[in-house]
Amino acid sequence: MSGYKEIALRESSFRPGSTLCPGCMESIALQNVGRVSDNGMKTIFTIGTSCAEVSSLAFPNVVAWGRGDDSPDDFAKSFSIIHNVFESAPTLAEAARDVSDILAEHGAIDRPIQVIAASGDGGALAIGLRSLLHTIYRESRITMVVLVNEIFANTGFQYSPATTPFAETSTTPVGEAQPGNPRLPLDYIHLCIAAGAGLVAQVSPAHGKLFVKTIEKALACSTTAVVFVPAPCISGWKFDDGETVRLAELGAQCGAYPAFVWERGKGGSVKDCARDVAERPRLEEFLGLQRRFHHLVQKDPENGHFKARPEREADLERMRSWTQSNVERLFRLAELP
Amino acid sequence: MKDSVAPAAPMTHHATPSGEMYPTAVQLDRVREAHRALYTKRETITADGNTAAALATLQLWRCVLFAGFPITPSTKWMETVAAHLSQQVGGKKRIKLMEAEHAVADYLVGAAAACRDLIFPTATSSVGLDHMTETTRSLGASGLGNVMLIDVYRATANFPLCIEGDPSDTLAHRDDGFIQLACRGKQQIYDTVLQAPCLGMHPDVLTPTMPGYYGIKDSHRNARLVVEPDAEIHAFQDRWIQPCTLPGLVNGDTAFGTCVTSRHFQGFKVSQKRRMERVLHWLPQIGADFERQFGRPGLAFFDTAGFPDDGAVDLAVVGMGPDFGTFEAMREAYAAKTCLRVAGVAMRLLTPFPRDAVRKRLERAKAVVVVNQAHHHGRGHLTLDVADALADLAVMPRIVSVFAGLGGADVSQVTWERMLDQGRAALEGSAMPPWAVFHEGRQL
Repeated sequence: MSGYKEIALRESSFRPGSTLCPGCMESIALQNVGRVSDNGMKTIFTIGTSCAEVSSLAFPNVVAWGRGDDSPDDFAKSFSIIHNVFESAPTLAEAARDVSDILAEHGAIDRPIQVIAASGDGGALAIGLRSLLHTIYRESRITMVVLVNEIFANTGFQYSPATTPFAETSTTPVGEAQPGNPRLPLDYIHLCIAAGAGLVAQVSPAHGKLFVKTIEKALACSTTAVVFVPAPCISGWKFDDGETVRLAELGAQCGAYPAFVWERGKGGSVKDCARDVAERPRLEEFLGLQRRFHHLVQKDPENGHFKARPEREADLERMRSWTQSNVERLFRLAELP
Repeated sequence: MKDSVAPAAPMTHHATPSGEMYPTAVQLDRVREAHRALYTKRETITADGNTAAALATLQLWRCVLFAGFPITPSTKWMETVAAHLSQQVGGKKRIKLMEAEHAVADYLVGAAAACRDLIFPTATSSVGLDHMTETTRSLGASGLGNVMLIDVYRATANFPLCIEGDPSDTLAHRDDGFIQLACRGKQQIYDTVLQAPCLGMHPDVLTPTMPGYYGIKDSHRNARLVVEPDAEIHAFQDRWIQPCTLPGLVNGDTAFGTCVTSRHFQGFKVSQKRRMERVLHWLPQIGADFERQFGRPGLAFFDTAGFPDDGAVDLAVVGMGPDFGTFEAMREAYAAKTCLRVAGVAMRLLTPFPRDAVRKRLERAKAVVVVNQAHHHGRGHLTLDVADALADLAVMPRIVSVFAGLGGADVSQVTWERMLDQGRAALEGSAMPPWAVFHEGRQL
């Protein structure tokens, strides 16, 4: 494993020039993935249609990918990226992996190649769940990074299977008849473990060291590694500029998306999130920072804390119950060998 | 396989319009050397069309990875490839079974982009092709001419379900951006698969290919097939397929599949159209070279039957597929019976449609009977193309549009006679409907 500081000084393949929203977690995540992957191996990156794609591969604007300001003399620094339709990132990565491997088996290439795929949660868990699970099932040696902003952000902030209950999205609006998203999120972590992944994690750069260490482990995994990156979306979650990392950390600590790392054969662990609700930050503080939950909570003028809106205590209690079950679920998954 | 970080060593590189390229990163000779010949001398075997297509792909040294959906009933291409590779102890070629045809198409994008010097074939049919459509349209515009999608024509682009073959599927995909080559007969299937990558991977073209043939009639029925030695095939292909001058994912520092603004979209699409049009320049040359080497007709815009040197005929037929053989068999008898000069054109190149060549071939016909075998809500795909080709003639032949063989039904001799009678009536000045459907000698 490399040192955190050493990694921080590496050359990221995610370069200036993207048109992602200022403060977007996806940008922070990709910069970190870009640095970790600057490890002496040539990188092939595949990306499905998503915010990260349309904001970084727009011709004739700057293509925000590649290492260095000039074409690299060192082949290991070379970087190739391919985009295809929403759901395709894992399949494209698997294909690039197979071709690289078969060329190596022929003795036609002698340099190591690493393959990383990236999708949003819409691309990976809605349109592309089949692609993701089958690539895992075939044990393709790729690292899959799923940027989970819990919505189809790029297309207008619509519901995805990762949307938190009660969240307001453009297709689960809040009204008198419905208090936001009525569904529980898909248990995508368990699905990936069950499909056969070698590593499954849920961690964002808000947990900086853990994030880069996890990406490093993922790149070294001998089968498919899947890293879900909780990605607070400034436009879709509707929060104030400058709160991205705080929100990512708070969401993990309060149990909405706990940091979790699991490796096949080694088991896993939940990080920085207590099993006991009393030891976690209050869920209301996490919800209160986002206007997608404005119908559930409001600030108490007396003490500055967030609390349930009138007649929303039952909904908030259901939300607390889901959060606890979410935490319990991950602790149980961590016990899987 | 486990990676290890190799010590940094210099590697030559140069700029291309698509990014930096490291031309020595992939040693293709190693792939070529590892190929195990299927045939070392010319042989005559008995094979169905699917086997013919599979053998051709197995003989190509550039085909090392065969991706497919395992249950496409119209084609046992994958089964045949798998059966051969399972016998090659220590062989390095691989099959890749995917969960759905859409995944196959995605996989082809990634594989073909990874190494632009290898050929990535698959085979599908009907709804399988439909399932691939989201990505075949990306592929069509991608510049990845090293993808070859073999389509076994089937009718189920329509309801009701029909498992026999008419070309409704391939003609519904005219605008996916593939070079569409229609075959009739096992030999033509085999020969076309050998030539198609030469066309698609030509640096002027860089467009994926879709060789196709009729389900059941050609896919499942056996006939004699002459197979060529692998070495001869390689010699032919290597004359046409040079190392790609654009980088792939493995040997490049490059980006594929960008989003563009509408202003630049125009340029990309114009480029795509121009690459496709260059097929009309290179296809006859590849076909002629094939014929020189193997002594059989190579790729052509169309086959012809019965045209005199001056091209002047009373009735010309335009069709495609194996049913054209029935027309060929009865043509002379019909001409003698009616005292008409009768000739025919069987289309080989569907996309891009060889408009100029078709016009030149038909310009001295008095009437043209266009036989459509695919469902179409208007006068028929072929009719519209033929009408477009003939539109600017000073004296335009009368065009008679007919449908026959829908759902893969045989077009019998008596059906051909009734369709030709329709053309004869047009010659005599009778009013014609916009289209007419014939089956078993009757107009429906």
